[in-house]
Amino acid sequence: MRNQTVTPKAIPHIHPGRRSLIRSWQFLMLLLAILLIYGYGWRVTQINMGELFTKAHLIRPLLSSLVRPDLLTRDQEVQVARAPFLTGEGELPTLPPSTEGTSLNLSRTRGRIGDRLVVRGQGFRPNTEGVLWWENQIGQRLPMRRFKTDEQGRFTLEIAVPQTPGVEHVVIAEVSWPVGPLKPSETLKIVTERMIETVFLALMGTTIAVVVAVPLSFLGARNLMARNPVGFTIYLITRTVFNIARSIEPLIMATVFAVWVGIGPFAGVLALGVHSIAALGKLYSEQIESIDPGPIEAVMATGATPLQVVRYAVIPQIVPQFIAFTIYRWDINVRMSTVIGFVGGGGIGFILMQYINLLQWRQAATAVWAITLVVALMDYASAVIREKVI
Amino acid sequence: MEKLAFLEVEHLTKVYEDGTKALEDVSFKVERGEFVVIIGLSGSGKSTLLRCINRLVEPTSGKIYLDGVEVTALAPDELRRLRRQIGMIFQQFNLVKRASVLTNVLSGRLGYVPSIWSLVNYWPREEVQRAFLNLERVGIADKAYTRADQLSGGQQQRVGIARALMQEPKLILADEPVSALDPATSHSVLKYIEDLNREGITVLCSLHFLSLARRYGRRIIALKAGRIVFDGHPEEIDDRRFREIYGEEAVEVEIR
Ligand SMILES: Nc1ncnc2c1ncn2[C@@H]1O[C@H](COP(=O)(O)OP(=O)(O)OP(=O)(O)O)[C@@H](O)[C@H]1O
Ligand SMILES: [Mg+2]
Repeated sequence: MRNQTVTPKAIPHIHPGRRSLIRSWQFLMLLLAILLIYGYGWRVTQINMGELFTKAHLIRPLLSSLVRPDLLTRDQEVQVARAPFLTGEGELPTLPPSTEGTSLNLSRTRGRIGDRLVVRGQGFRPNTEGVLWWENQIGQRLPMRRFKTDEQGRFTLEIAVPQTPGVEHVVIAEVSWPVGPLKPSETLKIVTERMIETVFLALMGTTIAVVVAVPLSFLGARNLMARNPVGFTIYLITRTVFNIARSIEPLIMATVFAVWVGIGPFAGVLALGVHSIAALGKLYSEQIESIDPGPIEAVMATGATPLQVVRYAVIPQIVPQFIAFTIYRWDINVRMSTVIGFVGGGGIGFILMQYINLLQWRQAATAVWAITLVVALMDYASAVIREKVI
Repeated sequence: MEKLAFLEVEHLTKVYEDGTKALEDVSFKVERGEFVVIIGLSGSGKSTLLRCINRLVEPTSGKIYLDGVEVTALAPDELRRLRRQIGMIFQQFNLVKRASVLTNVLSGRLGYVPSIWSLVNYWPREEVQRAFLNLERVGIADKAYTRADQLSGGQQQRVGIARALMQEPKLILADEPVSALDPATSHSVLKYIEDLNREGITVLCSLHFLSLARRYGRRIIALKAGRIVFDGHPEEIDDRRFREIYGEEAVEVEIR
């Protein structure tokens, strides 16, 4: 059978067999390069799927806290009783008075580390839970036992003297129970406060960006500026600044501003603002560049002044898109403002990081839920606004 | 000194920044009330010529007089006042698509109203009335509050005509006003322009099809590569002239 190629002239010199040989050789090289790249990538990023399972216990406290975030609390009524203990020579110290009616007795008041002693408490609220603490000379408290008082408000515990520095120690019994109605927890108050700060951080950053980016975007629009060398230079500079500023992540900017103006929301506002000026400025400029010159020509032809031309032929063509871009940027900034605190930019991220560092999982869970809720709400709100405006 | 015609174009030349010679030594006179059709191949300079007359395009050299005023010598402010008297109609209609038909028509009046009010889109009663009158003239008063881009092409061009009428123009420049329209709509739009001409407005209208030019023009100016190659009655364009204007291989098509 004859080989009937349709376009034999396109490859006049290379024999078909040679060509496929080169092809397969190139293909092998490509395959090898890809293998190398991903092999190296697997190693440097220390991918180890097994850890997801072997270290599952580390994430469990956070996950289980997610179902019971720290939201509500009740006032606590507390009864405290104290008793001194010495692990050396000296006088027994006098202690602040115990809650009225309660008392704590130790089977011995002197001893050494590891000695056993019996602790008896009485006069407490009956059938109530409490904690027995060991406080050393420098005020550090070790939890010894949890207990529950009996019907007469008494309890008896046997403990060993713990290994802790100092000579003068205090054994403390604390019995507490909730009273009064449920109310927002301290965490909830802090998280709410910080969440409000976060939303306003996004608002101020975005607003500053819009106010600055709108006028700048005209300088960055080629169709308006590139009419003479001076204009073209301004256009080039504006666009270059936009591109450079846009490529620096807000998180990195926040780190810089946190050094400059100190840790706090202002650093975050500056970081979001500067990044958004560049990002919005570029989008706005491109929108101005894409407007139809026809209406401008038509309005000019009626004898309108330049201001009227802008009002009747330019603005109607750019405003809806400007609003769309701004809402889009607002969405991004709300998300960004929730994490910018990680690098000192203020807002909820700052305390979320603190909670995690202190292993306060329920508090962290509260913050995580707040972020989720607010971001979802803001997304919904901007979707509604977008619908209305565009 | 001899009396100037209504519109005089003298030795008009336009060279664009990139070196394109769009018009070369173009001269002609138009008397008040004429309907002049400009024809020529794509790229022959029709749009450039029309835009030079209201200086949307700055002529490179040559002079233009309109009603005794030297257009080419006007300062920006005077130019704006002159532009008020020249209505312009475009191939692509050039309406502000997102604005209402009414706002588009009113924008034809921008040269006459105080700047401050117009900047907040506030229009005196009599101007709104004038806009509705002009919309009625072109038969689309019921669309006043529709967004311009929701109209058909023919309707949009009628908005364009109403906008030009708001200027109470002495002269109308129409740059291929029907090239984007189907034949039936083309005729209806050209008839509106013809009516305006009957009322005394001078019309300069570029057209793509010779058949339309023959039907509506009482005088035809033909451009070829930026030069006038014919200026006279439509009947004078015979086969030889036709090929001179459109090239050897062209065939005349009929638009009815
Ligand atoms: N802004 C401009 N810059 C450079 N050259 C231009 C510009 N506008 C038009 N030209 C050139 O000038 C010449 C005349 O163009 P013009 O638009 O006046 O022709 P036309 O007869 O209106 O063509 P058409 O029928 O396609 O509209 C063409 O060669 C065109 O490429
Ligand atoms: Mg043209």
